[in-house]
Amino acid sequence: MTDTADTRPSPAGDSRRRAVVGFILDNLVWLILIVVALAFSAAIPNFLQIGIFLNILEQSTFVGILAVGLSLTLIAGHMDLSIESVMALAAMVVALTFGTGGAGGGLELHPAWLSFPVSLAMALAVGIVIGAFNGLLVVRFSINAFIVTLGSYIVVRGMVVALSGGRSVYGLPDAMRVMAVDRILGIPLLAWALIATYIIFALILTKTPFGRHIFLIGGNVTAAFRAGIKVGGVVMATFILSGALAGFAGWLLSSRTAGATANLGIGMLFQAFAAVVIGGVSLKGGQGRLSGVFAGVLLLSSIQTAINVMGMPPHYTQMIQGALVLAAVLLDTFKTTIRRHYL
Amino acid sequence: MSKDQPLLVLDDIKMRFGAIEALRGVSFSVDGGEVVALLGDNGAGKSTLVKIIAGGQRATSGRVVFEGRDRQFDSPAEAKAAGIETVYQDLSLCTNVDVVANFFMGRELTRRVLGIPILRQKEMEQETAKALAAGGTSIPSLRVNVEHLSGGQRQAIELNRFVHWGGKLVLLDEPFAALGVEQTRRGLEMVERVRARGIGVILITHVMAQAFAAADRIVILRHGIVAGNVKTEETSPDEVVRMITGGIGRIARATENQPETGAGT
Repeated sequence: MTDTADTRPSPAGDSRRRAVVGFILDNLVWLILIVVALAFSAAIPNFLQIGIFLNILEQSTFVGILAVGLSLTLIAGHMDLSIESVMALAAMVVALTFGTGGAGGGLELHPAWLSFPVSLAMALAVGIVIGAFNGLLVVRFSINAFIVTLGSYIVVRGMVVALSGGRSVYGLPDAMRVMAVDRILGIPLLAWALIATYIIFALILTKTPFGRHIFLIGGNVTAAFRAGIKVGGVVMATFILSGALAGFAGWLLSSRTAGATANLGIGMLFQAFAAVVIGGVSLKGGQGRLSGVFAGVLLLSSIQTAINVMGMPPHYTQMIQGALVLAAVLLDTFKTTIRRHYL
Repeated sequence: MSKDQPLLVLDDIKMRFGAIEALRGVSFSVDGGEVVALLGDNGAGKSTLVKIIAGGQRATSGRVVFEGRDRQFDSPAEAKAAGIETVYQDLSLCTNVDVVANFFMGRELTRRVLGIPILRQKEMEQETAKALAAGGTSIPSLRVNVEHLSGGQRQAIELNRFVHWGGKLVLLDEPFAALGVEQTRRGLEMVERVRARGIGVILITHVMAQAFAAADRIVILRHGIVAGNVKTEETSPDEVVRMITGGIGRIARATENQPETGAGT
């Protein structure tokens, strides 16, 4: 390791070059995303349309919101595998209560718009309860988060199937479909929800002491504890937030699909993981920025959309996304080397 | 608190881990503005004692009296709130964040916007810069992550941190282990500055020269009991070495102590 920084006189040009290299490394995913989007636009006829980009944004909503919760737990040095199942359970609970077709209970509220906030509260409550359960096992009983949330992942998916009896639910009241149907300024509400989630949580992570503590705990839990940070409480909060975000994603998903099926959202956990890793969140904890994760999510859905538009079979998506995850990990190692040499 | 009352009194502290008795009745006291060097061989119980005072470990029996009150700190947070700062042997830094974030770890300055606490980054950076400058430490950029800093720079951050926050009692657990000669000298200066502010210091060290340079009193632990408690000017390195290795025992102050046999436990 070369520690020349304090001895070498650093001329303005040198520090500017370092600033540029640092900026590029920090925002590498965005550069890749832009390059990929330009390449698709050039190579695929009809790709360059505002509609397609809005569609990419809209499609990213569910994986994107899951990825925020996953990032929180990963940065704190843990992980949450249960998010996909929690999302499905939240969607199923909402659909079972308000759905008019299939296994739906067909609950009607007066006035009708009440179903909007009530269903949102239900979905969030499902997420918070399971998140709190995960957090409790991780914090109180010091069980590895991988095991805890893998268990929840399986149990909660089982609950989805059990609750619905394997049947699907359809026909949600109009008040609950607002999120999936309406637009503001020409942009779908789902996309707004996604963007708002990223902005809020990026601010929480970078601007609040709570966010700072998440990074400190992920970096060195002993040091954070010694410094008087309430480690257990913060970790608990990341699991509850992760659950609540998954519940929120489930609420949006039920709105989008106007119901729920027992296998709703299967595979989204791994897409969320891929996006998070591509976005530069370290699996070792303490590293990551939501702007990178957002770019990772957009990158994955751009590729998916391009493959759809080109009419290629969907399994190519899986292969490409898998390869991207490996590339992202390699890139991360590469970035560390570059940093050491140039910064 | 009256002036003649000691800042910290340890009264017959015992610590048992299963069959092992790490501390077999340790008693000594520290005054405000006094530097006490704690010496002892490996396994003498120094680090256990630090954890009991600094929070995080509860003594099996015995009393910790801090500022005249019986205290047992369940966590470092509680001890810190009471005014006890600790610099640990293994550094307590988060290398994944920058110097400022480390300096203010757990004590971030905030302002409230709509009731939500928001970090005051600029003020924290300025204060860190001021504190490091006062401590004579130069770090090229406070926004650089600690992982890119040298071992000496890291230790300097820790030392500046305790000088800045101070509190009422500072525990230093082998703080100069990774430092060079010049930095160690500066570290000892920092101890002196802290003492001048009326803060009590417990300095744990292996290096006899450091103990004699900085301490008013030297307490020697041996096999979990106090084997010596002497004023620095009334002893010599030779004598201290003999107390560490078990040649002799000498208690200068009239503090009651368990006999070396440990009988009655």
